[in-house]
Amino acid sequence: MRLFKTILAFLLLIVLFNLLNTNQGSIPPLGKFLNPFAGFWQNGEKLDHIDDILDVNGLRDEVQVVWDERQVPHIFAKNSYDIYFAQGFLTARHRLWQMEFQTHVAAGRVSEIIGVKALEFDRLQRRRGLLMAAQTAIQHMGEDSETQLILQAYANGVNTWIESLNPATLPLEYKLLNYEPEVWSTLKTSLLLKYMAWDLTGRNSEMDLSIIQASLGEEFVKTFYPENTPHTDPIIPAGKPWRFEAMAPDSIPPPFVPQFVRDLRKGEPNANNGSNNWAVSGKKTRSGHPILANDPHLGLNLPSIWYEIQLSTPDMNVYGVSLPGAPAVVIGFNKDIAWGMTNAGSDVLDWFEIEFKDETYTEYRYMNEWIEADQRVEEIFIRDGETILDTFALTRYGPLVYFGENQLENGHPTGLAMRWAAHDPSNEMIAVRDMNIARDRESFFTAIEAFSTPGQNFALATREGDIAIRHNGKFPLRGADQGKFVRAGGDTIGEWQDWIPYDQLPAISNPWRGYISSANQKPAGKNYPYYLGWDYEDYERGSRINDRLDQLNKIEFEDMQDLQMDNFNLQAELMLPFLLKQLDIETLPSDVGAILNDLHTWNYISDPHEKVAWVYNQWWLHIEQAIWYDELTLFNEVRTIPTRSVTSRLLLKQPKLACYDDINTPEPEGRSQIINQAFRQTIKDLVDDLGPYGEAWELGRARGTEINHLLSVKGLGRPGLYTGGGTGIVNATKKTHGPSWRMLVELGDRPKAKGIFPGGQSGNPGSRYYDNAVNNWVAGNYYNIQFLSSADIGNNSKLSLTHLRNYQ
Amino acid sequence: MINILAPLVIVFILQVLFYSWWWIILVPLVLGFLEKDSVLKAALATGFGVFLLWFGMAVYQWKNGGEIIVMRIAEVMGVGSGFILALATGLVGFLLALVAGYAGFSLRKVLIKEYQIS
Repeated sequence: MRLFKTILAFLLLIVLFNLLNTNQGSIPPLGKFLNPFAGFWQNGEKLDHIDDILDVNGLRDEVQVVWDERQVPHIFAKNSYDIYFAQGFLTARHRLWQMEFQTHVAAGRVSEIIGVKALEFDRLQRRRGLLMAAQTAIQHMGEDSETQLILQAYANGVNTWIESLNPATLPLEYKLLNYEPEVWSTLKTSLLLKYMAWDLTGRNSEMDLSIIQASLGEEFVKTFYPENTPHTDPIIPAGKPWRFEAMAPDSIPPPFVPQFVRDLRKGEPNANNGSNNWAVSGKKTRSGHPILANDPHLGLNLPSIWYEIQLSTPDMNVYGVSLPGAPAVVIGFNKDIAWGMTNAGSDVLDWFEIEFKDETYTEYRYMNEWIEADQRVEEIFIRDGETILDTFALTRYGPLVYFGENQLENGHPTGLAMRWAAHDPSNEMIAVRDMNIARDRESFFTAIEAFSTPGQNFALATREGDIAIRHNGKFPLRGADQGKFVRAGGDTIGEWQDWIPYDQLPAISNPWRGYISSANQKPAGKNYPYYLGWDYEDYERGSRINDRLDQLNKIEFEDMQDLQMDNFNLQAELMLPFLLKQLDIETLPSDVGAILNDLHTWNYISDPHEKVAWVYNQWWLHIEQAIWYDELTLFNEVRTIPTRSVTSRLLLKQPKLACYDDINTPEPEGRSQIINQAFRQTIKDLVDDLGPYGEAWELGRARGTEINHLLSVKGLGRPGLYTGGGTGIVNATKKTHGPSWRMLVELGDRPKAKGIFPGGQSGNPGSRYYDNAVNNWVAGNYYNIQFLSSADIGNNSKLSLTHLRNYQ
Repeated sequence: MINILAPLVIVFILQVLFYSWWWIILVPLVLGFLEKDSVLKAALATGFGVFLLWFGMAVYQWKNGGEIIVMRIAEVMGVGSGFILALATGLVGFLLALVAGYAGFSLRKVLIKEYQIS
């Protein structure tokens, strides 16, 4: 009996040990996690503490770090190696888990962390070739000794921090997911850069447009998906003449009906990724100095996507935001220049349908011959599972990402190959470093020439008084609409033949109007001779910014701050009076009087307290659905619908149109009918969802913003933020997306700057610096940026100093 | 008292030095084995000692810069407060140490019985 009890006790012990030592689904290993000596209890604010003197193995000389009250490190080093080493070391101190996790996502290695449920994601990610692109880039970057030094110094800094960790000081997420950091390599930085390139250029509507063209006709696409959308005020003012002889592509591919019908947009980057930037010349500012403004719009998460930092050596002193995992400052300023970026939106990714000989996908047809495809074998390690070997074909166009659902009439299978500019060798790292040390317009524009992908609109202001903007990147030379549809991949027609010459890209310096700006809209007017793409952001943000900048004079920071926080809904101003006129009041429910009254008196400003801002938003979505969803539900998916400006123009100009009719109902619907039906449906949905018209309908409550943790762990994010703004509004704040960094810089004798991002410097959810800026970001407040010229902090009690010293 | 203090002190030292959570199994297992007479001392007292250590240490961390992380993890785990989280931590320690202490004590009895028979 005792033996039985003993065995039972040991069995129970083994079971309990296993239960508490391993993850149970999404529950962390509770024994480890609750351990007060090494579990989550150790991830409190004491991790924020840093000694005044810190011995750091690997530095070449002493480095001084000044910390301000927001935990921004201002690093002063005596040489290039040490500055990037220290950047890696200090960024990892705050953000190690985030930077490593993002590289796992980029490389398709999530299965190693969370197991087999991420396998399909990893497979797709490998086939997209991000890892391959990062490997190509690192090889290319390694050929430049300076780039190599920067990347290696940063990696050494990160690794020195990793080596200093123990089970208690590991970031919380490693404890939640029960794994440990691995050695940081230069490849990881390359992966991170490719991940950003994917995030900003990976979204593509080619498949949809091909299906729409095949199903609804060429005319439908031409009419409703034009290259030039209504009202657009291009980045480079439309009248600018282009004084060069443009190259022309050799051949333009004929129309083609692909075999594919699937919706490729699933899992592609967020359609809202975009940004605003502008610079005003000294002629328009009160101080007489130029001012630059930038706010990149990205998915909002915690830890924040950006890490604020100042990097100072005898040859450089730059301040701005960096990407955790990559050296240097991406958006920022030095004493001579300030720069900001918005996504170019020009098309650098094309899909080609390839005919394969058989299901082995080893040979494909090209110029009527069977060509052997290179095979790349990917090893996918799965946590608590077997390792999967996944082989994919590499064609002359790029990697085979998708297998076709249908065979061709001749029985051959098909696949979709991806031609993506980011697969080509490039060195964005040196471009960013050179931007950091640029002194004037010329040196800045020389620097960004190496910034190939993602294409960006670089706005610049200089202390010398220049303002300039360049639609920058490596863009393929194509004919009109080439790249708008999936193309047949069997011959040279339709292949990328060359690149648009760099000096012929849209750019302008010191325009007469006294400002430059961009908001992801079309870069140049109709007279620009090259085709760059068609799927640009609609006109509203760009037009509103230009309208305001036209009006403003004697500009001060506050004006620029107000413009970044501008909640004016230009599209509502255009459409709401018309839509209200179409309403047949007698057919509406009697209790909508207050709503109608508020809509009639609304000033189109989408402030958080505005109830009708959300009503209008939802009404418009219902109108779009009523017009387009019936026609554009093709092969069981709602395909890309026309832009807001196209739909608006139709409603305003075309009282009768076949699209207004719902093809799924026997009765014919007209314009007024769908507007009325959409209104009734909107009110019904909102009442069902939010109750009677009242406080709950306010934009800040009904939509608001939530900033989720990267793992979407409830409790580690910031939900319920009372925000205004929205789609097509300069303050592009949405539910989970928005201005990820707001920056203003005035370039006088000394640069003056303000900035804020929705989060904090620390990636530790147990730190007050994890989300300390969120409330100020919501309120539209900015922090004064401290651009230090030395590490001498004097008696400033808001600053503290750390000496990093090599102990060897 | 010594049966409560011994696991508390030994586990504390080992965890400060080596972090691993399973010291709360190993130490009670050994202490249970060394206990000759009382199963209560071997299991309950050891369990109570580890409970005090884990609960006390959790409260110490919570009250020394751990307010934010405790608040967040309490929300992640769906428990109402840091106190409940600390109590749960202590109870996990108690449960493991209790079973381990009992297992160690039982093993000794089995081995000694076998030895006496042979």
